[in-house]
Amino acid sequence: MEVELEDAELALRIRSGSDREAEAELFRRMAPRIRLYGLRHLRDAHAADDLTQQVIITTLEALRAGRLREPERLTSFVLGTCRMTVLDLRRGTQRKQRLLDQFGADLVTPAPSSLPHVDQERLTRCVQNLKERERAVVVMTFYDEQTGSDVASFLGVSEANVRVIRHRAIRELRECMGLAA
Amino acid sequence: MNCSSPIDTAVLADYWLAALPGPEEEAIEEHLLGCDSCGARLREVIALAEGVRNLAREGTLRMAVSDTFLRRVAEEGLQVREYAPPPGGSVQCTVTAEDDFLIGRLAADLSGATRVDLCLCDERGVEQVRLPDIPVHSGPGSIAYQEPIDQAKAWPTRTMIARLVAFDSAGTERLLGEYTFHHTRTAP
Repeated sequence: MEVELEDAELALRIRSGSDREAEAELFRRMAPRIRLYGLRHLRDAHAADDLTQQVIITTLEALRAGRLREPERLTSFVLGTCRMTVLDLRRGTQRKQRLLDQFGADLVTPAPSSLPHVDQERLTRCVQNLKERERAVVVMTFYDEQTGSDVASFLGVSEANVRVIRHRAIRELRECMGLAA
Repeated sequence: MNCSSPIDTAVLADYWLAALPGPEEEAIEEHLLGCDSCGARLREVIALAEGVRNLAREGTLRMAVSDTFLRRVAEEGLQVREYAPPPGGSVQCTVTAEDDFLIGRLAADLSGATRVDLCLCDERGVEQVRLPDIPVHSGPGSIAYQEPIDQAKAWPTRTMIARLVAFDSAGTERLLGEYTFHHTRTAP
């Protein structure tokens, strides 16, 4: 609830006028989250950066114009805007340049990529230490991006089994990499 | 950055793989747009996924691979060198600096096998490495396995024997096939 209130307060400050500090805080807070959404749906870092810029600008437009009537619903508004913008990006109807001209470049610099560093040598050992079927599942899943049914067919097991094997393998990889909580 | 209801990491991986039903995915997206703690763990999952993807692309893992995997790396323009000695037979082989993947294809009748192990032996037949319970399909077919290309490029001229052994439901081990690779070093 605390986060919602903070978001609501931020939204109110932006709505009240040209509060550049509040707008910068909105960008700092939301940009990495929007970028994650973009990576998941667009599978491309540059496209995720484009999405981040456009969603932030659309959100600022809406806040400045007072179109977000329930400031505590800022997160839902941003999520809805993400979905619509991904559809727009896929349709190739980018408004990027017009928005850049309108808002200036200072608010639309790309969010930091911020994926944690992975020690490839250690990961090699960890992947090699997995059981054969676990290794096959993570490689086919993350390299091939094969569906559960494709992997299930190769392993001769059910899709539900593939999911269990994948979960176990990811847990073991995280432990081996020192990432597990 | 604490979260009162953290999303399980395996579920975050399913989310990254687009393997969740629509309503569950929507709930997770709403959560992620308000939670930096779960977002940080999702970034770890993505980084791990990217790391595994890079490892697979580098051809440095020793593992059984699918034909789909081999088609995919070929489509990426990567160079696959494959040798397929017959059961009980041998093949002359090498690996060059341009090769990205080294594959051994072992034909065998896998009917009735509940578990198949791949044993890699030296020239005297002494087992050096065993890959237990590799993925197989029942019936006649073949198993493709990948040798780490970085290690293969450093091998001296030598002979290596691969054995496939099967276990039936009673746990009895039987030899499915033995395959000899006479490797000649050509890489500098």
